[in-house]
Amino acid sequence: MRDPRDDGWDVRAVTAADVPALVRGADVLGSGGGGDARSAGLLFAHAVGSGAVPLLDPARATGHAVSFVGMVGAVSAFTEELPGGEEFARAVRAVERWTGERATALASIEAAGLNGLTALATAVSVDLPVVDVDLCGRALPRLEQFSLAVVDGALPPLALALPSGQVLVVEGGDGVRCERVVRAVLAAEGGWAAIATGPVRRAPWSGAGPVRTTRRCLQVGARLEALGPSATTEDVAVAAGGELLGAGRVVEVARRAGAGFGRGSACVRDQRTSALLRLEMENEYLVAFEDGAPVATTPDPLVVLERRSARVVACDRIRRGDDVVVLRLPAPSFWSRPGRTDRVAPRAFGLDLDPVLGERPDGTLW
Amino acid sequence: MTELSAVLALPAWGGAEVLAGAPGGVALRGVVLLEAPGQLDETAAVPALVVLTGASWRLAPAWQLDAVLRRAADAGARAVLLAGTDALPVPTRLLCTRLELCVVGADTPLLDLAAAAAVHLAAPEVASARAVLGVSRAVADGRVGTPAGLVGLCAELLGVPVALCDASGAVLHGDRALVVPRPSEPVAQRERTGAGTTAARPVLLPGLRGVQRWLVVRVPGDRGPAAVGPAEDVLAAAATAVAGWLAAERTAVERDARGRAALLTDVLRLTGEPSPELRQRAAAAGWPLAGWHVGVRIRTGSATDVAGLRAEAVRRSAEAGLQLVVAEQGDGWSGWWSTDRSPSAVEVRQLAERFRRLHDGLRQLTGCATGVGRPHQGPAGVARTLSEAADAALLAAGRPEQGRFLHVDQLGVAQTLLAWTRTETFEPAARSLLEPLLSDPSLVRTLAAYLDAESSLSETAAVLGVHRNTVAQRVTRIERLLRVSLSDHEQRLALQLACRAVGPGARSQDPSGPRGPAGL
Repeated sequence: MRDPRDDGWDVRAVTAADVPALVRGADVLGSGGGGDARSAGLLFAHAVGSGAVPLLDPARATGHAVSFVGMVGAVSAFTEELPGGEEFARAVRAVERWTGERATALASIEAAGLNGLTALATAVSVDLPVVDVDLCGRALPRLEQFSLAVVDGALPPLALALPSGQVLVVEGGDGVRCERVVRAVLAAEGGWAAIATGPVRRAPWSGAGPVRTTRRCLQVGARLEALGPSATTEDVAVAAGGELLGAGRVVEVARRAGAGFGRGSACVRDQRTSALLRLEMENEYLVAFEDGAPVATTPDPLVVLERRSARVVACDRIRRGDDVVVLRLPAPSFWSRPGRTDRVAPRAFGLDLDPVLGERPDGTLW
Repeated sequence: MTELSAVLALPAWGGAEVLAGAPGGVALRGVVLLEAPGQLDETAAVPALVVLTGASWRLAPAWQLDAVLRRAADAGARAVLLAGTDALPVPTRLLCTRLELCVVGADTPLLDLAAAAAVHLAAPEVASARAVLGVSRAVADGRVGTPAGLVGLCAELLGVPVALCDASGAVLHGDRALVVPRPSEPVAQRERTGAGTTAARPVLLPGLRGVQRWLVVRVPGDRGPAAVGPAEDVLAAAATAVAGWLAAERTAVERDARGRAALLTDVLRLTGEPSPELRQRAAAAGWPLAGWHVGVRIRTGSATDVAGLRAEAVRRSAEAGLQLVVAEQGDGWSGWWSTDRSPSAVEVRQLAERFRRLHDGLRQLTGCATGVGRPHQGPAGVARTLSEAADAALLAAGRPEQGRFLHVDQLGVAQTLLAWTRTETFEPAARSLLEPLLSDPSLVRTLAAYLDAESSLSETAAVLGVHRNTVAQRVTRIERLLRVSLSDHEQRLALQLACRAVGPGARSQDPSGPRGPAGL
């Protein structure tokens, strides 16, 4: 494995020019959920202008007090009721006041989907660097699935800044209780909120959460951006760093109301083998079945890309007749450690299945 | 096996609907009730109708239904029955087509349907069991006591042609149009033709090589392949009964054979007049001792079932125009033909012709060697003519060129004398005489052929298939090794006898052939 410090990544300035790659990469790690990264991309590009945000490699950022920021709630509500721009900074300031400690750097709660860029956008307004570490390493739907909740059993104090201007601080209780309180507030008010955790000091970061997810987004995004119009299905899979599960037309999308949100399944008929690929989803694509047998599950991200453009097809956008490529990406190594997989495995989403994980390619840094 | 379409046609299945896949050509053997998908791993569902009896699978998420269908198909199921007749989701229908699985839905209680299907699927086996039971009971109760009756019963129970054939495939009882597919193989046969399926079952007796009988049945094509299995089961039951009868018959044959062999031994010991007791026994057996007799000895080798083939030997002698006494003796049969007055030379010649015809017939069956004696008078004459016949049979074994058949009249005294060279005292002497040649068998062969060919080098060369110069060299070598001259009559006689005793003609030509004089 290469030493990450050798390739000039311990300090990397992210500029507006990185936005297209970052947006595409963040969408890929969204596993079909996490919200459209474009709106956050616009937010960041507008805030940073011709400047830059320093992105620190976690191996060199051990001395920082890091506040994790991001958006929680319904992404549709976020795009309908656009942020004024101050919500994220307000959440950071509020949690600093509550804990009495200043944050010296920011990081993303989940460096995938929409949240792949909110930390960068916030960093501009509060003038802090960003550490390339996050709490999910992909898109995950619930607070109790944050790596800090898994490792520590509890979350640090959380400040919520609502688009209506109100600020709440939630402290105490395990991840499940925090999730319940936050959901109740969001359901009552606006549907989404900017969230910031109290400053966290960790050394090394790799033990406390997935690392280098933003860098992974940049790499994957840049490779997808570079694909020409004649790229084959295999080229797309290689660029996204994934394993091909199937490619063909979507023959059915069934959505159903249930305990979770955005539940349903999409079926793709593989063009070459005629195998029937069923994707079970709840906000994110969770499990892929081939002819009724599970072949890929969470926590590995499952990605559906539109075949022509190689652009991500999110769970709420997939339609019958779409011509798609279905990939399985390796999950961050954080989730493959003993005792952690259960939090993000199919049973955590109410699917009574054992996890079926792909192999992690050698030399990955996340 | 029954097809799913036949199950769908059952009255109880009236409300059932095919929801996915095609029912045509789906063969079923059993019904498996399934409450949880995990049970499939323990259940061999090949090829079965799987009934999803548990909490309604139709209310479960689609992936769970997909998953259970996939597992059922992996376990070998060909059809699945579930509750409800609402249409299945499109992907599930596609999956079923892909898995070659037919899904049937019904609003009626599934257990009723499952029971109806299970009874229907078991029907052929029940019918088969009934027929097998019918055969077993008929035999056990004594209602059927003959092979002919048994064949008739089987044909009646199955409603198809049945026959009992002998080992050669000739029909003994039943439908004469039936042909045994491959009678040489002693295993159950099945042959499919356009007209239907012919099944044959061999009847074997423990301790006896070869098939005794074949039971054959032909199932017409319109009965379907499922009808062949029950027919074979019935044949299996019938074969046991046939084997039982054959074994009983066999026991009687063996008992009679032992009695005849003992009587023959007493007759052969006769030198003068027989005792009144022996006369009575011979009369009871129908054996003529008075008058003139011509004996025949047929040697078959120890591998032949002499007692079992006696009836065949008697039949063939009648075919050859001979009224013979036939008795089992060691590795073959002995017999004689009798007449009131001294037979003329012409009669003897005609008789010899008939004996040769008998020999030719039996030779196809057993590969025997046959000798015929001269006519002799009176009870002691039986022993004398049989003794001559035994000598002739002994010589005949080494005479392939004469078809292994010799008549003492054609032999002359010298050749009869040769038979006596096969004694245990002569052989060691002959062996020591030829000792110098024994390391090279080709020399013994050459010497024997040379003497038989009356010292003709060219004929010897032709007989042995070598060049005459080779023969000349070998003869010179023989004379040198033996230190004899082959032109000396005394030496020639001694060497010729010795060659007959230990040379290739004595043993190597016929390993199972006789070694001593007539084994009395």
